Amino acid sequence: MTTPAAIGSGDLGAPLYIAWQVTNECNLACLHCIEESGPGKAFPDELSDEEVFRVLEQAMDLEVPYLSFSGGEPMVHPRFFDMVEYVCGRNGELKIETNGHYLGPENCARLKRLGAKAVQVSLDGASRETFNRMRVRGDFDRTVEGIRNLRAAGVPIEINFSPTCFNAHEIGAAVDLAAGLGAYSFYTGRTMYTGNAVKTWHRMAPTDAQYDEFFEVLHRKTEEYRGRMRVHFHEMGLLEELRYRLHHPAALLIVLPNGLVKLINALPFVCGDLRRQTLGEIWARFQRAWQDPRVAKFVEDLAEDPRRTATLHQWVYL
Amino acid sequence: MKLAKHVKFRKEKFGGVLFETRSEKVYTLNPTATAVVREIQGGAPEPEIPRRLKERFRDDGGAIEREAAAFIAELRRKGLVED
Repeated sequence: MTTPAAIGSGDLGAPLYIAWQVTNECNLACLHCIEESGPGKAFPDELSDEEVFRVLEQAMDLEVPYLSFSGGEPMVHPRFFDMVEYVCGRNGELKIETNGHYLGPENCARLKRLGAKAVQVSLDGASRETFNRMRVRGDFDRTVEGIRNLRAAGVPIEINFSPTCFNAHEIGAAVDLAAGLGAYSFYTGRTMYTGNAVKTWHRMAPTDAQYDEFFEVLHRKTEEYRGRMRVHFHEMGLLEELRYRLHHPAALLIVLPNGLVKLINALPFVCGDLRRQTLGEIWARFQRAWQDPRVAKFVEDLAEDPRRTATLHQWVYL
Repeated sequence: MKLAKHVKFRKEKFGGVLFETRSEKVYTLNPTATAVVREIQGGAPEPEIPRRLKERFRDDGGAIEREAAAFIAELRRKGLVED
């Protein structure tokens, strides 16, 4: 075995991971949503069913081992379960990233039967008050019930938490809640200034002091749950992460609902269009796209003005 | 012995990759390690794998045999294989 750093993603014949935002439609309208999803927010040009399955076929033919379906809310996509069945039926590992509002017992049993690797549920708070404030139209009790249904069905559970000024103090309780609900993984990081968060930042952004305490608690919880539940988090800021990625692009493609492919979620750059190019062709362009000087310039401009992330949805075609 | 449930293997020009999808860790494999994984996927009994590679690669000095045995131990230690 060699170290991961010894070989870069450019040496790979295909991506290892495709993170697919299958629709921008969502039943909730969360304050912090980086995709600006919400009711009636589906893109007018989202991929057709035929196009979706053509791309999935390409991914499986390229032996992409791992996919995730997110959104918006992926479970509102009319062909959601057909897509899950196709990927799992071709031996792909699939994670669903959901707000947890469609996780009734029947759907959970179906996900288990189809072989979903894991379901990641967003649980931005350990109480009804904070969760419902953050997840507009959302319901804490329904989400927790959905997680319980996953556990009952035997589907592996991951929990995701986005911090704000009004829920950061609950991080310890949220980790405990996730463990109590049977999650095997808990993930969090810094909430990003983009999407809906641009409009709500003034009433949502954690202070530096809150972040300090937030990460301090997470370090403790990581140790407390070691061997029982994986607590992992990105403490470093976006700028450090992107500077690293400039030299070490992950073997990951971000697919938008309309088939455009982004370099990484936290940059506005598009390196392909699945309506015009195959997945294989886009993968060949991916490494070159990271070397485009506009990418490095955008990252360095972030050092001067971190609020440039507000423009991530103004796509730049490389 | 087989690859653990959430471990995926893909052949690459340089050898191969193992992707542990629960922790999302990636391991790149050199040609010897790749050959070991192919033997595991083919159902070869664990004790026979180093010997088979020794023969296949005409490994008179035994370096590949030792490397294969060490790699199998590493796979076990990292939980990438199961019985």
